[in-house]
Amino acid sequence: MSAILKKATSPSAAALNTQADVAEAVRAAYSSAEGLCPVGGRTALDFGGKLPSASRQLDLTGLNRIVDYTPRDMTILVEAGVRMADLAATLATEGQQLPIDVPRASEATIGGTVATNWCGPRRYGHGTIRDYVIGINAVDGRGVAFKGGGRVVKNVAGYDFCKLLTGSLGTLGVITQLALKVKPQPECVATVVADCADLSVAEAALDRLAMLEAPPAAIDLLIGEAWGDAAGGSPAARPQPPASTIRNPQSAIRNQLAVRIEGTEVEARWLADRTQTECAAAGAGSSRVLSTEEAAKLWSRQVEFSDRGAGDSDDASPMVLQSIVPPSSVVEIISKLLAADPACAIQAHAASGIITARFKEFSHGDLTTLLAGKLRPAAVRLGGSAIVVRGSLDGLTPHLAWGGRNDAVVLLERIKQKFDPKGILNPGRYVF
Amino acid sequence: MLATDASALQLVGELRRLLGADRVLDAHSDLAVYECDAFVIEKHCPAVAVFPKTTAEVAAIVRLCNERGVPFVPRGAGTSLSGGGLPVGGGVMIVLTQMREILEVNLRDRYAVVEPGIVNASLNRRLANTGFHYAPDPSSQGACTIGGNTATNAGGPHTLKYGVTVNHVLGVELVTADGEIMQIGGPVDSSPGPDLVGTIVGGEGTLGIVTKVWVRLTRNPQNVRTMLGVFESVDDATQAISSIIGAGIIPAALEMMDQGILVAVEAAFHFGFPLDAEAILLIEVDGLEVGLDAQRDRITEICRQHRAREVRFAKDAKERLQLWKARKQAFGAIGRLSPSYCTQDGVVPRSKLPHILQRIRAIGQKYDIKIVNVFHAGDGNLHPILLFDERHPDQVKRVLDASGEILTECLECGGSVTGEHGIGLEKISFMNRMFTSDDLEVMQRLRDALNPGGLLSPGKLLPTAGACGMEQIHPGRQAAL
Repeated sequence: MSAILKKATSPSAAALNTQADVAEAVRAAYSSAEGLCPVGGRTALDFGGKLPSASRQLDLTGLNRIVDYTPRDMTILVEAGVRMADLAATLATEGQQLPIDVPRASEATIGGTVATNWCGPRRYGHGTIRDYVIGINAVDGRGVAFKGGGRVVKNVAGYDFCKLLTGSLGTLGVITQLALKVKPQPECVATVVADCADLSVAEAALDRLAMLEAPPAAIDLLIGEAWGDAAGGSPAARPQPPASTIRNPQSAIRNQLAVRIEGTEVEARWLADRTQTECAAAGAGSSRVLSTEEAAKLWSRQVEFSDRGAGDSDDASPMVLQSIVPPSSVVEIISKLLAADPACAIQAHAASGIITARFKEFSHGDLTTLLAGKLRPAAVRLGGSAIVVRGSLDGLTPHLAWGGRNDAVVLLERIKQKFDPKGILNPGRYVF
Repeated sequence: MLATDASALQLVGELRRLLGADRVLDAHSDLAVYECDAFVIEKHCPAVAVFPKTTAEVAAIVRLCNERGVPFVPRGAGTSLSGGGLPVGGGVMIVLTQMREILEVNLRDRYAVVEPGIVNASLNRRLANTGFHYAPDPSSQGACTIGGNTATNAGGPHTLKYGVTVNHVLGVELVTADGEIMQIGGPVDSSPGPDLVGTIVGGEGTLGIVTKVWVRLTRNPQNVRTMLGVFESVDDATQAISSIIGAGIIPAALEMMDQGILVAVEAAFHFGFPLDAEAILLIEVDGLEVGLDAQRDRITEICRQHRAREVRFAKDAKERLQLWKARKQAFGAIGRLSPSYCTQDGVVPRSKLPHILQRIRAIGQKYDIKIVNVFHAGDGNLHPILLFDERHPDQVKRVLDASGEILTECLECGGSVTGEHGIGLEKISFMNRMFTSDDLEVMQRLRDALNPGGLLSPGKLLPTAGACGMEQIHPGRQAAL
């Protein structure tokens, strides 16, 4: 990610501390038809490419109160600007958690997490952020404050704005407050890593792991040089030739499965054993349960990968792509990515069919040849999608970043017109 | 009305040409069965009922209705408890029960593609022995359709652990209010951009007609333990529920039945429920075999701490099925208790369960109405059942007043007036108590965006001039929950 973007700020207006402040600011922008870009922790400003226009930033980090927390109900009411790490720390005091993993959690906000529909490795075992939002307050493009849902875990009264605004990237409303349901923390966490000699072994292992009687929290397939010894050294680690000498990517690039298991101690032990057995049966060279310290280090890299890469410091990748496909097609997509660039680093939340690839180099031509020419058509044919997660390239239009107009976009444009009639909410951020 | 209108007669002719005479009903005697759903309190007869077999036919029907300016409404099996399937203002009822194929089952990628008219339980029968199931299990699953479940975002006992319908719908094919065919989502985990699939699920058929559904399949748990906690007092039982959830245990299901309903269930099923107990909890945990005994023991311990008289275990699969049959068919047994009943569907935060159950009892005493309870306790989703005789107008009035007071109390606890049945027609008058006029105006804008002419499912979900709510209607007998 571009360092410039990460630090980008614009002259800020009066501090916003309440939903009423936000509504007033949006009403003012509405009357002058001025574009607004709602921001939280500014960790995803280049999500889908950098913004083409210089909309005024609407800083929501002043809305940072934990409004109400009732641990016995396992629900919490928070303002949109609460940082993910602060939310996690509050929940941890009661042994609870929101099992959504975001990069740079000490900066990222819950509002931004919902607006980007960010979902980390544990989506396989725990679902995505939309499964946890039970109530939402927001301000539409006219400056009208509205809400959906409520404070209870089961509720079908009215249209579900909790869903509509999840992933809306600040284009349909500015999220100001969220009611969330939360979960107990697991008693025990275990991480199994297994080395796969080539992608066909990885595919066989994934087929087997899909049939486990209890879903692990996460099944990641980690590929590429950068992952290196992320797990703190593995018995199957082989010397890596320099990237430039790689002729057949699959023979030299390390394919590592990382399976995170959560549960009671006895459950975790059982599932870890089964995971190792299945990996062995699939032909994986070796597998082992990581020590707590190794597991924590690997986990941190898995969570931060989209933002930083697989190493200890930012790999300054100019382009991070993400494709969502049926899980059985993950290896097919990975093969396409490696064929295009054997040096790219890949993290696949394989059991959920989500593949994220970081490229060391990426030209504007690659946008049309690789993304629009190969990856996206393949993903769309499978019923999925391919988007730019982070990109600092010039000339990256929203349509290149997100894909063309599909049926969903046609309907969403109609909704956009009603929610933001003057188009002032985050112009250029998404396809509308 | 429509049938006397020349233009409407033309429409019937056009529908017949499109579908053939046998799939278009317009004789009043044929239509009587479609004048209400499981919310039998209000009746609206459609002018025509049509039975499409393909998405293209649905789209063609919708376009014809648009050309003639005639309202239209989709209907599944008609099990809605909130009047969601009623044709307000007459018009064309599009009955989807002839679109009931399972189009694809993909176990590796964990989804199935089904037509909307398939009965919920039929899909699971097809999945038997595959190691997978479709998780949402409304109590009416033997009759209700996946299309209807999608429209109402239906729940069920096992949604406590596994989530409600929206958590299991990956994509839909939709015929829009204008008659376009669209596909939103599909066989993948999620799509970029706003969550439109999640918005359409639970839209109560007002945002489009779902003609195909991609549903998520869930791996069967390795094993299960089913328990019955027997309590001397309702208060002890509700405190136990609150403690189980508060202890960070998420059972697969956690249901409560009070003495009033136990008596009826026992008379119907002869399960051997203790009739002198004030409440029982039906608790199920599932997962890896190695962990289940420990979970069961912990729950047993918590029940005992709350003075459970005993905790019984279902000794085998047969006994477990019997227990669930008793729970799911409890509503069928109510006929033994009174000539009429009215089921409510409120939600409270789980820690408020002891309070709300006390209040329900007090409200029953205040209005001299017997109220029995069988509900999804783990979610805080109440189903108080008010017993009465509809032949006595005074009782009807007291039931209405008591229902309103219970739902008001749910709202005062920070809850909702519906957890899984939907707003439909039944609860429209409560919408402006849960939501501000701004909230409702923005909801109306969403509807206007996707249903601009308002011809699709008019009079549902949002208060509009002329729509009626609970204050205006009379409770009657309701079918199974």
